[in-house]
Amino acid sequence: MLMDNRTAPRSEVPYGTLDLMVLKTLDSMGRLHGYGIARRIEQAAAGPLALNQGTIYPALLRLEQRRWIASDWGTSENNRRARFYSITASGRKQLAAETRSWTRTVEMMARLLQENS
Amino acid sequence: MPWRVLLARLRGRIAGRGDEARLDEEIASHLDLLAAEFERRGMTPEDARLKARREFGGVAQIREAHRDERRLPFFDTLVQDLSYAFRQLRRSPGFAAAAILTLALGLGANTAIYRVVDAVMLRSLPVADPEKLVLVQLLANDKPYRFSYPLFREMAARQQVLDGMFATSQLPLRQAVLRGRGPQRPVNGAIVTGEYFHVLGIAARPGRVFTGEDDRASAPPVAVISYDFWTREFDRSLDALGQTIQLNHVVASIIGVAPPGFHGEVMGDEPDVWLPMSVQPQVMPSDWLNAPSSSWLAVMGRLRSGIPPRQAQAALDALYRQLADLNVRTTGVAYRVRLEPGSRGLAELAERFGGPLWVLMAIVGMVLLMACCNLANLLLGRATARTHEIGVRLAVGASRGRLVRHLLTESFVLSALGALVGLALATWGSRELVALASQNGDRWHLSLDTGWRVLGFTAALTALATCLFGLAPALAATRVDLHSALQSNRRSGATGRSRSLFATGAIVAQLALSLLLVSGASVLVRSLWNLRNQDFGFDADRVLMVDLPLEFNKTVMARARALRQPLYERLNRLPGVRSAAVSGFGPVAGLQHTGSYNSPQYSAQERDYGRIVNVSPRYFETMGTPIVTGRPIAEDDRAGSPKVAVLSETAANTLFRGENAIGRFIGGGRNFDIQVVGVARDVRFSGPRDPYHFVVYLPLAQDPAPVTGAVVRTVGDPAQLAAAVRNLVREIDPNVRIGRTVSLAAAMDSYLANEKLLALVSSWFGVLALILTCVGVYGVISYAVERRTQEIGIRLALGATRGRVVGSLLGEVAVLVTAGCVIGGAGAMVLARAMTKLLFGIAPHDFTVLLPAAACVMAVALLAAAVPARRAARLDPIEALRQE
Repeated sequence: MLMDNRTAPRSEVPYGTLDLMVLKTLDSMGRLHGYGIARRIEQAAAGPLALNQGTIYPALLRLEQRRWIASDWGTSENNRRARFYSITASGRKQLAAETRSWTRTVEMMARLLQENS
Repeated sequence: MPWRVLLARLRGRIAGRGDEARLDEEIASHLDLLAAEFERRGMTPEDARLKARREFGGVAQIREAHRDERRLPFFDTLVQDLSYAFRQLRRSPGFAAAAILTLALGLGANTAIYRVVDAVMLRSLPVADPEKLVLVQLLANDKPYRFSYPLFREMAARQQVLDGMFATSQLPLRQAVLRGRGPQRPVNGAIVTGEYFHVLGIAARPGRVFTGEDDRASAPPVAVISYDFWTREFDRSLDALGQTIQLNHVVASIIGVAPPGFHGEVMGDEPDVWLPMSVQPQVMPSDWLNAPSSSWLAVMGRLRSGIPPRQAQAALDALYRQLADLNVRTTGVAYRVRLEPGSRGLAELAERFGGPLWVLMAIVGMVLLMACCNLANLLLGRATARTHEIGVRLAVGASRGRLVRHLLTESFVLSALGALVGLALATWGSRELVALASQNGDRWHLSLDTGWRVLGFTAALTALATCLFGLAPALAATRVDLHSALQSNRRSGATGRSRSLFATGAIVAQLALSLLLVSGASVLVRSLWNLRNQDFGFDADRVLMVDLPLEFNKTVMARARALRQPLYERLNRLPGVRSAAVSGFGPVAGLQHTGSYNSPQYSAQERDYGRIVNVSPRYFETMGTPIVTGRPIAEDDRAGSPKVAVLSETAANTLFRGENAIGRFIGGGRNFDIQVVGVARDVRFSGPRDPYHFVVYLPLAQDPAPVTGAVVRTVGDPAQLAAAVRNLVREIDPNVRIGRTVSLAAAMDSYLANEKLLALVSSWFGVLALILTCVGVYGVISYAVERRTQEIGIRLALGATRGRVVGSLLGEVAVLVTAGCVIGGAGAMVLARAMTKLLFGIAPHDFTVLLPAAACVMAVALLAAAVPARRAARLDPIEALRQE
């Protein structure tokens, strides 16, 4: 498949991190619709990310089924009906837990890689 | 899957297709926003739209991924399997109907009995916190013993471990007479101490319950009535409060109505009226409130929170020992206090009917097991017929587990439908059972509702049954050799061995169970027959007995004494009467008079439990009780003439150690002034199971006891004389209460309610077992014949006679039956041993019962096998060989 943007290679979204990204985004930005969340994640990556924006929808459903986020209908910037998502209290708890475990993993990996080099 | 996700998905499933539409709308709005963004960056609308689509990714894939998140894999296959199962069953309605009916009978019978067990033995009293109630049980040599009122009073006042204690008794007012409200009629009264309702946590609606004040000797008598009585007598009018009612001779004013559903603390009983303990002296011949020697009260209490039962028991036992001066103590008897769980109240019914109910539960359990064996065989046959289909499904990639699940779903549909029909059967069945058990005036007041416990039981049993009859056939059916299965030979022999092994096992189990049930039934029927046809010590044929229930009241007792001469004379003049007699406290009548009579060489002991019966002349002749030696009580034994007595054989042997009793003297104390003139045959005093007792017969004329009944030996059917006898009693004294008027045989039979119930129900299930066996054997042999058509054809072609073919098939059945009978016979002996307590006159291993039962099962099995065997013999060898 041809890439649009050949100047910089797009990095893959590591498996399982999308949920965490969505939670973090909603935590810091407040209530957002799906497009807003996708944009924010791309911005935060500060560069191109191999994220098909559509993949956040199954993720949103997954998070909502676990009651970590809640959703309701609202109106988007271009005056269309859009579904808005916001983080719940149990979502914040989950975010904190995942952040801790993610940080630990990253630190551990960093140490390991330094030792070996 | 976390339960939250499961719930969310389930909710989504039930809510319908909203999720899909929502996603589409979100995608559309997302694409719009993205395209607008690109346009702002200077793209043409078309390019922007295209780029937006690319950035977004494949809409179809997203939809699919979204759908995956909503999926309920288990649920979806279940729906698939269920609809497939229903289609399959609709295709063979005959099989479905037979299977559902079998299961409905099995599950229904179990549910019916369990419903009664639940009501009799497992349900709590409808009071506040029933689990905190305890029964304070006094034990004498570990046998339940009752409290006296002074002892109860002191213990209740001094104890520190219970939040209140109360004492009750039904003795004085059970079957009392309601007077002053139209014609006299029976009413059930209970007398209770003032704390009764407070300790149980029962409030009156309307009105109020007793307080300690109402229970003072000086207080005006008051009454609390039951909701049912309020409905029956007062049509739930508030005017009932303050009205007076008369029970026997106590007049009390109504102060409150107990809530609906409250029937006191005795399970299966239903008091109409509660009176405070203070009325006791008015309803009994003597004041027991100040008599430490009269033990007559049951005591319950509510455990104080935080105090363990063991500690409370120790405290109460210690307290009991401190109150030594209030204790009745017989030397050589160990007394102690034990706390028993009281959440179910005084479980009289559970004690009396517990044994029979568990026997019934075992019987229906076996019936269900048989039904399962039967169905397992039927299903196995069907699975064999579907070998080809299963082979195809395995070949195209279905996993074996998936197929087993699928087959089990079919079984589950069958048993669920069976359970539904069974529940309906059970509702009817348990009501019939209670009606059957409460025949003969021994009423059970049980509310049989199908609560959660009963439904849970049925559901669990259904699941268990499904596994029992469904699992093995499903496993066997899916263990196919693909190659031969796909060759479309439905009699593929590849798995035949394990299948026929299973089928053999199931049929042997079925035969064993059916022998168990049939022999169990015949043991119970035989025991009933033994009870009915034993020597009662009297000749119950053509004797009418009239009960004249006694009230403990001076005028009533005087009236009952006055009946003696006129009733005796006029009964004997009544046409159709051979002979008649009147008696006080005679056998089979309920009320008993116990006391001790001594001889110079023997003082009666408490364990002799001597009964005193006062009789008129012609009594022995009327009852048909043979006089072993000496003479009966006669006309000449009047007041003033020398005092005489007739002894029962047991009494004579006890008092005179086997020596001749005639002419010797006995007495109530140490004054031996009564001469023994005769010895009468021992009688079964209170029921066919009663052991022979120490009985002293005294002439009514010399010992003027109240008359409590009459016996009449008739020329014809005793029932036809009942009305005439009742009229005659009324003519003599219209105020005398007339109780039951039945033949002596029927009165004896009324003691056998349990035994009749067991014999009837077990016979019924024995017949059902035989029918199931018949169907089972028929099915298995038909299947064998079908599978071996070719073999039989070859044998016939080679010159085997039809007789030999039938013989060899029946020979195989005989082997199965023998195996089943050996196993079942061993089980039957174990069962009979477990039932020893319920049996009468049968040893646990009585072959005269077991062998006929085995013969019966064998005959039925061979008969059922003979039909398909004959069909095999009539096969046309050429046709048979042409079959594949």
